[in-house]
Amino acid sequence: MLSSDQEDLRLLRESARTLFERAGGSGRARKLRDASGGWDSDMIGELAGAGVFGVTVPEANGGLGMGLAAGGVIAEEVGRVIAPEPVVLTIGLSLGLLRRLRPDHPKMEQLINGETTLAVAWQERGPGGAPADATCRYADGKLTGSKAWVVGAAGSHGFLVVAGGQNGPVLVLTEATADGLSVDKRVQADGSSLGELSFSGTPAEQLAEGSAVQDALAEAISDVTALAAAELVGLSDRAFEITLDYIKTREQFDKPIGSFQVIQHRAVDLNVMLEVAQACVREVLAQMDCETVPKIRARLASRAKARAVTAAKKITRDAIQLHGAVGYTDEFDIGLYLNRALVLSAWLGDDVYHRRIWLDAREEEGVAQ
Amino acid sequence: MTDWNAMSDAEFRKEVHQFFETEYPEELRHLPHRPKFAEIEHWHRKLHTKGWVAPAWPAEYGGMGLNAAKLLIFYEEQQRGGVNRGRDMGVQMVGPLIIKFGTQKQKDYWLPRILSCEDIWCQGYSEPGAGSDLANLRTRAEIDGDDFVINGQKIWTTMAHDASHIFMLVRTDPNAPKKQQGISFLLAPMDQPGVDVRTITTLSGETEFCEVFFDNARTPRENLVGELNKGWSMAKALLSFERIFIGSPSLAQNALGQLESFARGRGAYDDPVFRDRFAQAALDVEDHAALYARFADQLKRGETLGADVSMLKIWVTECFQRITELMIEAAGPDGGTVGPLQVGNVSVDVLASFYKARPTTIYGGSNEIQRNILSKAVLGLPD
Ligand SMILES: Cc1cc2nc3c(=O)[nH]c(=O)nc-3n(C[C@H](O)[C@H](O)[C@H](O)COP(=O)(O)OP(=O)(O)OC[C@H]3O[C@@H](n4cnc5c(N)ncnc54)[C@H](O)[C@@H]3O)c2cc1C
Repeated sequence: MLSSDQEDLRLLRESARTLFERAGGSGRARKLRDASGGWDSDMIGELAGAGVFGVTVPEANGGLGMGLAAGGVIAEEVGRVIAPEPVVLTIGLSLGLLRRLRPDHPKMEQLINGETTLAVAWQERGPGGAPADATCRYADGKLTGSKAWVVGAAGSHGFLVVAGGQNGPVLVLTEATADGLSVDKRVQADGSSLGELSFSGTPAEQLAEGSAVQDALAEAISDVTALAAAELVGLSDRAFEITLDYIKTREQFDKPIGSFQVIQHRAVDLNVMLEVAQACVREVLAQMDCETVPKIRARLASRAKARAVTAAKKITRDAIQLHGAVGYTDEFDIGLYLNRALVLSAWLGDDVYHRRIWLDAREEEGVAQ
Repeated sequence: MTDWNAMSDAEFRKEVHQFFETEYPEELRHLPHRPKFAEIEHWHRKLHTKGWVAPAWPAEYGGMGLNAAKLLIFYEEQQRGGVNRGRDMGVQMVGPLIIKFGTQKQKDYWLPRILSCEDIWCQGYSEPGAGSDLANLRTRAEIDGDDFVINGQKIWTTMAHDASHIFMLVRTDPNAPKKQQGISFLLAPMDQPGVDVRTITTLSGETEFCEVFFDNARTPRENLVGELNKGWSMAKALLSFERIFIGSPSLAQNALGQLESFARGRGAYDDPVFRDRFAQAALDVEDHAALYARFADQLKRGETLGADVSMLKIWVTECFQRITELMIEAAGPDGGTVGPLQVGNVSVDVLASFYKARPTTIYGGSNEIQRNILSKAVLGLPD
């Protein structure tokens, strides 16, 4: 399968970090949030220029063919500067679906080139507000029904929608400006939004149908889940750095607060938590590149997300505590990291959810014996 | 004047419950933010007419004169009904201090104005360099004729942008041999040219706290409470009162109730893993209440509370935080969504609770500081 060696990954990390830092680091995320809560389309172009979106797409289909391990490197860098661009979404989900189902489709190239962004609408909301079975229908070229929790709905040019068709599930493409489509935005902690889409006879183009759609969706979800875990690891890494700097410099009782043993131990615990998460997620991504059985890939992805969310929760919460009141302000960046962690943790399932999935999968595979 | 303490607990609870149930404006129940006074003024007037603004103050000063047991019931019902505490820094913090250390003239002047909210107070203790190490404060007050002249800066001053007065700790003797000496407790009007208030936005986008700058601000000498240079021990006496107050079960109880109805509506409640964690949280709250009652009894017997009261705050604030994490968990894919989440006919603002829980382990003496206190003053561990 696709894989890249450590040296390639190191170089990729370096260039991604330089690109994001030159663009303004986390300060850029703050500016964008304050401006509109969206992302910067010039940045999408720059990222595309660096090959970011096609990183896991085979070379034959216009990508870099570097595998998920490389996707994870980019995701970590996105996390470090809490970049609002839909990088993980595009690599993992939009291209994850298209490259499996329709590598020939012109949208592939447009996504890789950064000319377009497509959000993926695959979940639906049930009566209690929780996820429910799909009822959104596609017939005679038109979509009817609704979809929930669509990440990137606000800025995307169109949607890849998973719906029920005449011969089983279908993947269809609809433009953001299509007739009969309305998008209800729900603001997230980090200023981004989730879209609740409703379709009433919305024209859409069918891209694929049948069980292949379900299979590709499951695989793409495994990919994007593991990449979201990597984004959380990058986020936690930077949140920890910021905190470490702070406790070294903030003085109370005539000493840096980092000289108090309690604080030192807390910092060490967070660091251990971070290193475990980073090791786990990087290992998972490398294994997923070599693994072909979808169920095992799904289990691996759950392992990564469970660990990354656990670590990010602990690190961002403790980071606020160690900052004291300044940590509770918007002025200090650490709060941006907490807010982004809230959003990334809830996306695609939190730690509790993934621990459950992981255990179920493990039993099913008979790993326990 | 009703002698509330003579009532049975059950009778008293019923009376309080009924009042909050029928009189409290529905649109103000479980407010997710700290209101400005104007928003709750109408309610405050009702409470004032009823004579219920200051449940803990002695009746002779216009309070309800509740003993500890009744006070506990009062706060429980207040929380249960989602009744906003209002702008209560005057009632909770300055009032008790004036009652304890103020002159008759100060009592006669300030206390009625606190009750009527003619004056609205904020607490000016913390400074950029004086957080956990409060005694490090530098804001100066110098005597000039009949006034004190104040120079310096306070920070994290909750609702200072909606306050008419500030009670503050200031340095009146910079040459005192110890940091804790040479600090005085002063009252000052905010509405004057030498006072500049700038709001600070919190990470949830609220403007709850402020920076307050003093540039030759003035306050009459008679606004010194207690003795000059003796402010530290007075403020500390008040802090132990604050500690039982923020150590009370109410915030956690309230959050637990919200968690339960939310989780039932969302279906999380049927999940065995969630149930175990919910039961853990529920028992953490219930058992904390048992410990709280022990301290409350101590107060009821007229004893002063020791340093061990800190354990209430540690337990309940951390429990509150865990409960709000469970809310986020129960919200699943909505766990990062801002604003009220609707389930059936209940609506719960999950992130508002989460944000509210975060600073409870920071303010009122951070939980690390509380642990330092317990390890030294209670466990007697060496330095
Ligand atoms: C929402 C909110 C409202 C507030 N409202 C007010 C108000 O109205 N008026 C007012 O005067 N103040 C107010 N405060 C300020 C509050 O009292 C301070 O935040 C608090 O005293 C902690 O100080 P600090 O924020 O400077 O943190 P620091 O003292 O800098 O502490 C940073 C971290 O170091 C830890 N630490 C510090 N010293 C030690 C030690 N010796 N051992 C171990 N750990 C240590 C702390 O626990 C914390 O985790 C408010 C704060 C918040 C968050």
